[in-house]
Amino acid sequence: MTAAKPAMQRLRDAVNEVDFNRFRFWFQITAFILFVYGGYLAIDLGSKLPFFSCGYNREGRAGVCYLLPLQHQLGRNWAVLFSMASLTILTGFLTFAAWFIVLNKGWCGFVCPLGTLQDWISALRRRLGIRYANYTQGQFAQLTKIKFVLLALLILIPLGIGGGLFSHDMSPPFCLICPARMVLPLFTGDLSQFTIDFSSKTAVVMTALGISVTALFFVGSFVKKRFFCFFCPMSALHYLISKPALLKLKKDGSKCTRCGDCYAVCDMEIKEIADDVKTTNIMTDDCTMCLKCVASCPETGALKATFVGIPIFVSTETGFIKRMNKGCQHGK
Amino acid sequence: MENEIHQVIPINPVPYSRSRQAGEAQTVLDHIVDDFQENPVAMQYFYDLFRQVYCHGDEIPHSGKLVGTTCIQAPEELIYAFGATPVRLCNGSYHYDQRGADFMPAKSCSLVKATLGMLSSENVIPKIGKPDLVVNPSTCDQKKKSSVMIEGMGYSVYDLEFPNVKESEASRVYWRRSVREFANQLRKLTGKRLTRANLKAAMAMTGRAQAAFRTLHNFRRQTPSLILGKDAFLVTNAYFFDDIERWTTAVEKLNAELAERQAAGFRAVQSKAPRVVFTGSPPIFPNLKLPLLIEEAGGVVVADETCSANRMLYDMTAVDEWLLSDMVDSLADKYLKPCTCPIFTRNDDRKRRLLDLVAQFKADGVIYQAFSGCQVYEMEYRSVAEEFNKAGIPMLYIETDYSPDDQGQLSTRIEAFLESLKNRKKRHA
Repeated sequence: MTAAKPAMQRLRDAVNEVDFNRFRFWFQITAFILFVYGGYLAIDLGSKLPFFSCGYNREGRAGVCYLLPLQHQLGRNWAVLFSMASLTILTGFLTFAAWFIVLNKGWCGFVCPLGTLQDWISALRRRLGIRYANYTQGQFAQLTKIKFVLLALLILIPLGIGGGLFSHDMSPPFCLICPARMVLPLFTGDLSQFTIDFSSKTAVVMTALGISVTALFFVGSFVKKRFFCFFCPMSALHYLISKPALLKLKKDGSKCTRCGDCYAVCDMEIKEIADDVKTTNIMTDDCTMCLKCVASCPETGALKATFVGIPIFVSTETGFIKRMNKGCQHGK
Repeated sequence: MENEIHQVIPINPVPYSRSRQAGEAQTVLDHIVDDFQENPVAMQYFYDLFRQVYCHGDEIPHSGKLVGTTCIQAPEELIYAFGATPVRLCNGSYHYDQRGADFMPAKSCSLVKATLGMLSSENVIPKIGKPDLVVNPSTCDQKKKSSVMIEGMGYSVYDLEFPNVKESEASRVYWRRSVREFANQLRKLTGKRLTRANLKAAMAMTGRAQAAFRTLHNFRRQTPSLILGKDAFLVTNAYFFDDIERWTTAVEKLNAELAERQAAGFRAVQSKAPRVVFTGSPPIFPNLKLPLLIEEAGGVVVADETCSANRMLYDMTAVDEWLLSDMVDSLADKYLKPCTCPIFTRNDDRKRRLLDLVAQFKADGVIYQAFSGCQVYEMEYRSVAEEFNKAGIPMLYIETDYSPDDQGQLSTRIEAFLESLKNRKKRHA
């Protein structure tokens, strides 16, 4: 208590006691600006990004979401697909994986522009004093599978297109129904995606579906926190390859009281975060790694984010008390 | 006939301070204060408080409606938010225990009997006034069956429905609904509305109290100890009836003193004093029999897992969106999910918490108090003992009640246990 703390410890305390929601808010804004407007500054981070930096935002994008090139590559004519030319699919995937393992699902919670946008819509709702909706346990168990179904379709439909089974007007299938395609170009004044393509029956169906999903996106994320993330096939893909990721969400069950504070703040309603005291690697398929659970855990060392095994953000009692006091006094 | 009545020698009622009941409190308090050396100066506030309330029978003022609670599960933030004052009715007096024996079968929990005895007496100590509402969460059988009896004594009673399985989602949903219904009851009682602002203010108030408690709790990690367990129990017992703001300020003062003690390298006990974690039935003043016996025998209670101290104040609430609905739901979860009360079907959380306390507070052993008749604690003994056996942690199980008769026999057992802890420590060293 009396002896001066070493500089490293002081830095750690400062990080662990940070006003986390504010930090994350500014981090997200910065990432949003970078990936939605970075293109104007000639920033181009390639086309294998592990989050929705939408390729349809042609002028502003600072890189392209991997799902777009992936679907295009898989939609090649089968003769090409099953030749050496498809080595590019493998290298593309490896590049994507290399990006991914740096932040793990942290890309969702901190960087993804579509995720950030949903947080802003939630903030608007909160300011209006309207409460958010929850799924029941049964709904949750059913709906959580949808993202894997979408991921499977995202791979199978392009393969079908390449094999001549489906029309080319369905390509790229997921992008056509992804709300990011319509919403993110809006931020650079591009309204061109808000159209229904009447060139063929398939095109009409796909573009109409896209508009409906976008409408659903706005309504859904107004009533439900991170509404879309629950169904996101990118999130499913992340989960499947998350084992070697560098950023990890860890739990020490022996320190957990199962008070449920982490569950109370979880945008994705993940119960395991509170109830599971055995798993140490606690990131689930629905997790967006927003780390709000770590910030709201009152038990020192029970939850932590580690990078290459080094704890970078750890739950502490003092951090919890500071943050909750702030919430009590002028929380929104 | 009239003449006969006049012939009866009138017995002047003794003032409370000279009653046997006050004497019971006086004896224990004197013991706590005088038989130990170097009590923290900041403890004087609590010693004085207990002397006024329990020995002199002084009145405790309160604001708004008075809501009595018979368990920690009644969310006090809600009570404060409605401008009412909560008071915990669980009682530790042997005098009331004997009185309450009329209501319950012979082998029942002293705490429940004492609470009934207190509520049925004309002169209720602590003298805080008659509760406008008694909230009785449906926890253990004995408390459940007390409801009707308390009602029969002329109180208005509200049964707060509490689930006895806590892992399932159904129980969470059910309990959240219960808590909302409780808020409705409070609205009817007080005629006030629950608003974001008043609930937030109430949560800030209890949050500050909990933070102060946690600081005190953390100081007890220090080896050798900075403060004795008997004082810590007195502090948390005061929370039952004291004004929350005043209580918090007093605890913060105590914490400041402990910080000074720590800086000065102060030792409240010998460096070899066996460190004990206390679990089981709650010590409530004046029944601090076991903690006092432990510390008289040279041990020190460094932490506890009881509903009169740690379990009551430790767990804190996190809220994501400070809207009324979110605050109420978060509060409800806080009162159910981390609770280690033995009335639940499973006790994994209790076992894990005990193991964690032993490790974190470098305890040498555990003393488990079960009030005779408190079946749930008696039944959990087996599983807890097995867990400690596996972990190689010695535990002493003591079945007792509020009666002072078994003190001699208990002190022999406790001394022997502490002696064995010392020997074990030596061997391991």
